[in-house]
Amino acid sequence: MSDNTKNKRLFTIWQTAAAVIAGAQVEKTDETDEPVLDVLHLTKSFGTKTILDDLSFHIESGEIFGLLGPNGAGKTTMIRIILDIIKSDHGSVKMFGKAFDEAFKERIGYLPEERGLYQKITVFECLKYFANLKNVKKPDDRIDFWLEKVDLIDHKKRRVSDLSKGMQQKIQLASAFIHDPDILILDEPFSGLDPVNTKIVKDIMLDLKRDGKTIILSTHQMDQAERMCDRILMINHGKKVLYGTLDQIKADYRESPVMVVEYEGDLKPIDGVTGMEDYGRYAELDIGVGTDPQDVLKNLMESVKLRRFEMKSPSLNEIFIEVVSVA
Amino acid sequence: MRKTLVVAKHEFLATVKTKGFILTLILPLVILLPVMFTSGYVMQIATDSPRNIGFVDETGIMQPDGIFTRFEDIGDAEHALLNDEINSFITIPPDYLETGRVVLYSTGGFFSSAPTGLIEAFIIDNLLRDLDVDEPLGDRIRRPADMERITLNEEGEVEEKQEVRFLIPYAVAILMMLSIMTTSGYLMQGIVAEKENKTVEILLSSLSPEELLTGKLIGFGSAGLLQICVWICSGTLMISLTSLAAVFQEIQISQIMILAIPYFILGYLLFAGSMACVAAPASTMKDAQQGAMVFTMMGILPIMLLGVIIAAPDSTVARVLTYIPYTAPATTLMRITLTGISVYEIAASLLILTISVLVVIKLSARIFRNAILMSGKKIRIRDIPGYLKG
Repeated sequence: MSDNTKNKRLFTIWQTAAAVIAGAQVEKTDETDEPVLDVLHLTKSFGTKTILDDLSFHIESGEIFGLLGPNGAGKTTMIRIILDIIKSDHGSVKMFGKAFDEAFKERIGYLPEERGLYQKITVFECLKYFANLKNVKKPDDRIDFWLEKVDLIDHKKRRVSDLSKGMQQKIQLASAFIHDPDILILDEPFSGLDPVNTKIVKDIMLDLKRDGKTIILSTHQMDQAERMCDRILMINHGKKVLYGTLDQIKADYRESPVMVVEYEGDLKPIDGVTGMEDYGRYAELDIGVGTDPQDVLKNLMESVKLRRFEMKSPSLNEIFIEVVSVA
Repeated sequence: MRKTLVVAKHEFLATVKTKGFILTLILPLVILLPVMFTSGYVMQIATDSPRNIGFVDETGIMQPDGIFTRFEDIGDAEHALLNDEINSFITIPPDYLETGRVVLYSTGGFFSSAPTGLIEAFIIDNLLRDLDVDEPLGDRIRRPADMERITLNEEGEVEEKQEVRFLIPYAVAILMMLSIMTTSGYLMQGIVAEKENKTVEILLSSLSPEELLTGKLIGFGSAGLLQICVWICSGTLMISLTSLAAVFQEIQISQIMILAIPYFILGYLLFAGSMACVAAPASTMKDAQQGAMVFTMMGILPIMLLGVIIAAPDSTVARVLTYIPYTAPATTLMRITLTGISVYEIAASLLILTISVLVVIKLSARIFRNAILMSGKKIRIRDIPGYLKG
């Protein structure tokens, strides 16, 4: 154990002891190097159908973690097991370094894919009920704070049924954030939102990340996941197919790089280029394994006048489609 | 437990604020208030109207007055009564001074008990004519009539009026089953509504399925208890304010009420737990209602078999219904004043009901956990073992 880790643990013990002496409630005891979430060999079947097949991964504190996969891949089942809504057949879920405890639910904010709110009560009553379930100390203040954030404070006294679908979606987001959770599990948070509200939600998520919150983002919008996620897990048929940082995944996914060029002139076959998609003024060149892109560039400059070139990495969307279609 | 109470409070307030619930509280009052005033008015007319009461005195003490007419024997008095010459008559046996026993004969009209005050006054007046009051006579002055009621039908035959005795327990049984069914129905609606509006998954991210179900059971149960307490209190108040009290005074209301509360609580938990079992896997309210039909039918079976229970409260059918958990609450309350139902029978019935409640709640919690997030499937009996297994 390093001196730094020792000091950190001693400081944590001292803080805890001081809090106990002062009579304060000790709520968070996870100031360790453990991952926020550690999923090990998770397996779940419904009848004869295996939904999750020996799935293991972990999520670090303060990251935005993308949970990707096609419909029916097992994402929602996995989220429900993480939240202890349903039980796994095998495997374990550790949260903050400990086996799941019902009290952890107060530290998790959840926006399910299937949206829903009580329609016959006011926005305030609805949020207050959810806040009370999460043991929020000053619910009224928190409700006002989040309604301001999602720009719906003027609708506080209105019945939920009187609000538009987009407004209700933002109310539901507010209900997921209202208790200041450490972990946020957001299942398709942008679906149904217009560009203005999408930006509001995206900015809120980035603010929460800056505040050290951990966000699990389950989405089909690959462009959002590519821009926002630090790491991703892609599952298909309940199995892990991609896992890691985007750079790692992209590097692992395609061995031969692609060079994109805009040019003037007559493009001829070039040594070291194994495949070419030529559009007359624009071309995508597959660089062969072991070929130095610098050599390809030199050869190109001898035959055509280059206007632009870049080394293109595959988009997450392309990877998603390819991985899913192969499976 | 804190979260369970949050759910209970939410469900209680949400239920008692609904128009349907407020209506069920007010409706009995709306119906009974006119009855109360009408009966009071009719009673007033009955009391104030001129009366002609006969008496057959075998003591030689009584003297006729403006209201009381002497008859030499019971046959003459009966004849006069059946020919509407008198409203009622009393017989005062030779040993009246020793026993205080007086028999009142009437034609069984609803307000025929009204002249008791007049009769007592008549007897006291006659007794006090001799001022030399000895001790037995003093007692009789204080308690002049330990009255036995006999009702004659149109043929002059003695008729047993069990319907009147049955009225309160029957009303309590019906109101209790109505409250249990209504409240269990609210619970079922609440569960299905939360499935339909997709809030259940948010709730389950905050508390366990067992906490959610328990909170709902407590919340809706409290609303039902409030409902039945309001009905009992308002009913008791109305009866005490009207002359109907005289009709019900022989019935052991306190015994019924003491038993009504545990039977209500256990009955509610049994039916609500059963409703939760069908509501959790149901996708729509229609599916849930179809599934709940079997429990509803069992609940109202004793009321459908009312005639059998009245005719033979100690019959095998009535006894069996006392021990079947779903029929026990209504059957026991209906039997209690009709027959000398033993403490052992009541205890056995309550024991079976309690065990059934524990089993049903355990099963419903398991089904609730495993089926609450399922959607788009019809309820099938063959799926139940799967829900229980998880």
